[in-house]
Order: sequence, then C-alpha cells, then structure tokens
Amino acid sequence: MGADPDFERDALAHLDALYNFALYLTRSAAEADDLVQETYRRALRFSHRFRPGTHLRAWLFQILRNTFFTFYRIRDREAAVAEDGVPDWDVPMFHDAPDDDGRATETHMDLERAMRRLPEEFRTVLLLAEVEGLPLEEVARVMSCPVGTVKSRIFRAKERLRGILRDYDTK
Amino acid sequence: MTGRYDDLSDEELGRRLVSELPRHAAPPHLARAIRAAIPARAPRLPWLAPTVAALATALVLALFFVPVLPRIVPADPTERLVRAVVSEHTRVVMWGARRAGEVAPASLPELTRETGVALARTLAGDDQLTLVGAEPIYVDRRRGIAIHYRDADGHLVSYIAVPATVTINDRDRVQIDRWRPALLRDSGFATWLWRQGEVACLIVSDRVSESEMDTFKDYFKRLRVATEPLPAY
Repeated sequence: MGADPDFERDALAHLDALYNFALYLTRSAAEADDLVQETYRRALRFSHRFRPGTHLRAWLFQILRNTFFTFYRIRDREAAVAEDGVPDWDVPMFHDAPDDDGRATETHMDLERAMRRLPEEFRTVLLLAEVEGLPLEEVARVMSCPVGTVKSRIFRAKERLRGILRDYDTK
Repeated sequence: MTGRYDDLSDEELGRRLVSELPRHAAPPHLARAIRAAIPARAPRLPWLAPTVAALATALVLALFFVPVLPRIVPADPTERLVRAVVSEHTRVVMWGARRAGEVAPASLPELTRETGVALARTLAGDDQLTLVGAEPIYVDRRRGIAIHYRDADGHLVSYIAVPATVTINDRDRVQIDRWRPALLRDSGFATWLWRQGEVACLIVSDRVSESEMDTFKDYFKRLRVATEPLPAY
C-alpha cells in the first residue's frame, strides 16, 4: 500500500532542495537523480515512521545523506580524475546562473568550486545550515552529531572555504 | 590590490552562500519518475471495517451462547439414554458426586422417595469396587438413581438405574456368563446396558480398550449379582 497522499505531496515539495543537496554530495547529475529517487522511494516506504509535526525537510535530508553514505560513498569519488588531469569534482556544475556580468558569474563559479572541494561534512553543514537555513538542532539530527559539533564544523568549514576562495583570488 | 574574498567575515560568507551559491532545481523528468514509482494505493473498502466488527461481535455472541444452545440428541431413545447417562458420568468425573459418602442403609428410603427406584439389594463395595456415593439423577426426562464406585486403579464406575423401557439390539449384546447385556460406546466411554424387570440398568466406565474388557465384564458381574433395583411406584 502506498503512502498517504498528503505525505507524498508534502515530501515532493522539497524535491528541488533535495536534488540540490544530492548534486553537491555526488557531483554528478545522473547520480543525483538516482540518489533522490532512492531517497523518495525509502521515504514513502517508511512514511509511517515519520512523526507528524517534526521537520519533514530535515527527515528527508537525513534519509538522503544516509543513502548517499550507503550506496555512493563506496565509489570513492574523491580519487576520480578526468583525462585532462583535473579532478572531475573541480569542474563547476554551474550552468544556469544569472549572467548579468562576468564578475558575478565568476563569483558563482568560485563559490561552487570551493564548496565542491570541501570535505563532505563541511559541505553538508554549510548547505544545510547556511543555504537551506535549517535550525542547528535539525542539522545535528541529519548529521547524527551534537549541536556543538555542528557549530564547530560550521566555523571550520567557513575557515576552509575562505582559504580556498583566497587561493582563487590570487590565481 | 584588494582581492574579492579578502576580509570576508563569517556573516558575509554566509550571506554570499545564500545569495550567490548556485542552486540547482530538479529536472522535470525526476519529479515524473518519482511520481511514477509511487505504488498505487489499494482501493479503500468502506464496508470492510463495519463488516469485520459485526462478524467479530456475532462470533463472540455465538461463543457466549454455545454452552446453552440445545445439543443435537440422537433420535433413538436407547442411544439418547446412553448419552445422557454418559453425560452424568462425566459430570461426576469432573466435579464429583453431589452426595459423596452419604450412602447408608438409613438414607436409602429417602433416595427411593426422591428417585422412584427402590434398591432391594446393592453392592456396598468389595475388594475391587469402593462405594463413593449414591444420588438421585434426572436423565433423558426420567428420574433415576446413580451409584458411583471407584475401582482399584482409581477409575470411576457409575451404576445407574432408570425406570424405562429400552430396546436393545441383538447385535450389541455380549455374553457374560448367563447374562447378555449390550455393550455401547459413546463419547469415549463404554456402557453396559440391560433390562432388569422394568428398570433399565447401565454401568459406565472409561475402560474402553479391548485389553480392559475382561475387567469391565467383571464389574458387570459383580454389580449385576449384588444389585437389584425395582420401580418404587
């Protein structure tokens, strides 16, 4: 038997956010597709375990991240190198940014590339806390760690991100 | 020359992440694929819950009234009498005699008055059968008397006499010395049935196997010789 129609509707309302998160995790559109589909398949299958009144978006992010660890981390994409010698995760995914001027586009690309160079736990914490605006308690739940660890990861992630961006500036 | 990312505070970096980090919308085919993968729900059956509830209630009521529902009784009067006597015997096996230990010559007149059966002679017990008690009974719409014994192995043996006319099939009869009682079985019990004047006499025991038949025949002989019931009225 399928999930409740209201639950399906509410869950699908977060599709774009989940896809964006999946794309930053997998760095591949095809794998992000698979990851999001698998996330929804699990969420709908186990919808009875979701407690109404809690944060559905955080619950979905948690499923997506756990699924990513289960199926996609195994491939160890960090070692993947393209034919030109540049790691494939260092190539921007950015294709549809506002193109008002060249400098703005460059900033978008720098940010995206820098984010992709961060370790997963730093990338995730910035995406969830800063970009998606989840409360720290929910981020802690998604990442299965204390709130204090989330705060410290945010601080260190920003430090690392700043360093990478400065590198881009000097090049 | 000042770089674009010099002196970038935490707040400013956070703001830039929100406003400048590209956000990728899910491609349209993804939403379609997810919707297509959602399994179809089974149609709701609004009548199912009330029907199940009604059936459950009916079942509970049936179970509640089963003990008081009329039992299917055999059409043959002899079989009916045997079944009633076996039922009385099983009651005593389960719950004991109502008047255990009250049989004394002094109480016999009262038993006769209550049962309509007079006992000219009765077995008061011997080396094999110990008298447990005697009591009036009401079986198959007739008054009668039941005398209960316990044998050496602890088995209950019931002797029952009822003023009644019964028909005994010749094929059921068994020769024991000079007598030919009928051996009938009902509900896992063996019963001797014979007529003694105008009284139908029965002996019930759970000794039903072939190996115990000699013992059961011996009980018949002891009781047949030692007991003589008569209609009192």
